[in-house]
Amino acid sequence: MANLVALNSQAHRSMRVSPLPIRELAQVNVVSVIPREFPRLLAYYPVFFVKNRESGRFEPVALLGFEPRENLYFMGERWDVDYVPLQIQRQPFALLPRGGAAGEPASLDLAIDTHSSQIVTEGGEKLFDEEGKPSKYMENMASMMQALVSGSSEGYAFTGRLVELGLIESVELNVEFVDRSEKKLQGLYWIAAPALEKLPAAQLAELRDHKFLEWIYFQMASLSHVSVLVARKNRLLSGVSL
Amino acid sequence: MSTGSAEQPIRRIVVVGGGTAGWITAGVLASRFPQRGPDGVSVTLIESRLQPPIGVGEGTWPTIRSTLKQIGVSETDFLRECDASFKQGSKFVDWVDATGPDAYYHPFTLPADYVDHNLAPYWLEGPRNASFANSLCFQTRLCDHSLAPKKITTPEFAGLANYAYHLDAGKFAPFLQKHCVDKLGVSHVLDEITDVRSDEAGNIEQLLTKSGTPLAADLFIDCSGFASLLIGKHFGVPFISCKDSLFIDKAWAVQIPYRTEDADIASVTVSTAQSAGWVWDIGLTTRRGVGYVYSSNYASEESSLGELRSYLDARGDLSSNLSFRSININSGYRQQFWSRNCVAVGLSAGFLEPLEASAIVMIELSAKSIADLLPGSRSGLTHAARIFNGTFRYRWERIVDFLKLHYVLSKRSEPFWVDNTRAASIPDSLRAGLEYWRQHCPWHEDFSHREEVFSAASYQYVLYGMGYPTESAHWLLSEADRGRAREKMGETARQGEALRTALPGNRDLLGRIRKFGLQKI
Repeated sequence: MANLVALNSQAHRSMRVSPLPIRELAQVNVVSVIPREFPRLLAYYPVFFVKNRESGRFEPVALLGFEPRENLYFMGERWDVDYVPLQIQRQPFALLPRGGAAGEPASLDLAIDTHSSQIVTEGGEKLFDEEGKPSKYMENMASMMQALVSGSSEGYAFTGRLVELGLIESVELNVEFVDRSEKKLQGLYWIAAPALEKLPAAQLAELRDHKFLEWIYFQMASLSHVSVLVARKNRLLSGVSL
Repeated sequence: MSTGSAEQPIRRIVVVGGGTAGWITAGVLASRFPQRGPDGVSVTLIESRLQPPIGVGEGTWPTIRSTLKQIGVSETDFLRECDASFKQGSKFVDWVDATGPDAYYHPFTLPADYVDHNLAPYWLEGPRNASFANSLCFQTRLCDHSLAPKKITTPEFAGLANYAYHLDAGKFAPFLQKHCVDKLGVSHVLDEITDVRSDEAGNIEQLLTKSGTPLAADLFIDCSGFASLLIGKHFGVPFISCKDSLFIDKAWAVQIPYRTEDADIASVTVSTAQSAGWVWDIGLTTRRGVGYVYSSNYASEESSLGELRSYLDARGDLSSNLSFRSININSGYRQQFWSRNCVAVGLSAGFLEPLEASAIVMIELSAKSIADLLPGSRSGLTHAARIFNGTFRYRWERIVDFLKLHYVLSKRSEPFWVDNTRAASIPDSLRAGLEYWRQHCPWHEDFSHREEVFSAASYQYVLYGMGYPTESAHWLLSEADRGRAREKMGETARQGEALRTALPGNRDLLGRIRKFGLQKI
């Protein structure tokens, strides 16, 4: 169980955190991503949309594997491509709502999961310097958290508009691996290309003005990595080291 | 063009009355025939004034989902604006006898393997560790825990269990009205009808109005409620009373607030038998609607009100400071529903006690049937009317049978209940069925129509919920089906358990829908 505690320079003056992603957090086969990451995700990951379990709203995700806890990018205790999605990078930090009377928006504090095994006694990154000022590392993490919050809103604005325009459709991913085993992945959605082709010019322009058009093409282009993902799985199945 | 000619096309439709029946019918017709203007069909709805909301919580059948989808409304908007909740069936409490607590479900999800195999005989011959519905339908477990039939990620109108809605009828009609007028091009006229003008052949030509502007049309739909302006007053089609079979003729209705903000919203209409009728209990998102339908031959206004208060008191609801409304119920239907160029839909066609929520489904079926049968010109009217009248006469009779079934199986000892089991009060068709079902479990072939309002599944749920002792000849049963039944019962239990942990509570899900909405895909 995570135990989120708001950071303060007194209590956490000497705390050290290892920035490397750890196995327990990496064992996921989808990770939620934000549109701002798309250009960098495009180098390695297939991006789809899934429905958020709490709200049913669509959000973009990177697909990492074919089984519930399978991450084909996390091999031999490390992430084996150059870019790790922000949602993984930000660990073990989180934002914790504070105060806020009923109906008022609460402010958000940078918090840390004190149960995380990324908290180390030696090595790693310090959170505060000797005088109690936030370290460069912690400042980076704080701005990463802010980016995730605003990025998540951008993501929902993006998918919300796609839904209104009928540009999202469900897709069933059927793959066959080298050992002849088959896998059907359900609950994934992607851009409805035929609907996009028929979209009137005015709406295309509107999408472009919000950067949505760019993001649409990133998503579509990222799908070439599905076969890369299958290849990773095949190498694993045939015992070839990556 | 000469009026009254058999070749006169039918393209102008006027719906009289703006309640649930009027707007559903207008919506179904306008969405089925979307073309307006000189090359299309016009749909106009006239009502004398905006109806004040009645505000009785109403139950529906799962058909309502396809009807709403066809009309083109969003499920999210509908749930939000009509204070609607999910209904997964009915629960009948104390109907069997009043000696101890008894209750059974009539869920909307069909018994396991129902399409291909009749497994009821195998439940009957088995140890009956669980009730019939519980053994062969996973949905009872969801109902036991007030769970929703779907998740927030389930698309609009789709479900993991079959469902309909409880809705606020006072909000439903205005909701449909807005959609019909704004999206479907239905013209809405507020005026009072003062007279009806017919041609020589007896077809209605025009409705004269108080404002002086007559309303001409080729087809008139009478949704004027109990007033029955066209089919009753104008055409004088006789009313067939069902009070010899169905004794209910009065009701008390009341709105009850939830005791707490987070109180469960029930997944079913709860119907609890009383001394001279039964109490309905329907949970909307904002409040409950409760009422006692009873027979005035067996209970007075005062004693029935007292019984309703006791029902509320026993459940911890405050029965003081509530406003109880008295309603008259005249059970029966018209001898014909379609006469000349006029069709009656809704209360003007007929009304029966709301025991199995048959009112709205009959409206939906009527509207759909009119759309399916609508002839291009007047020459087709007579034949369309003959088919429609035959089908709907059959449907009303079957509903009377099915409602009566609940009463004849009861062993309660009050005079109302004892009299309900008298042979003279039981329609012949039901009596014949009951005789047959002594040695045969109801099945598809027992019912002859393509779209039965109540299928063999409904009969099974009620018969075996109430302990009907069918004894199938053992030589007509098979070892393969016996094994299949065992397997399906195990599957049902597992499925119910899995869904019980996977599905949210009704209140939880309705709250999320209010906040986030459901996705269309």
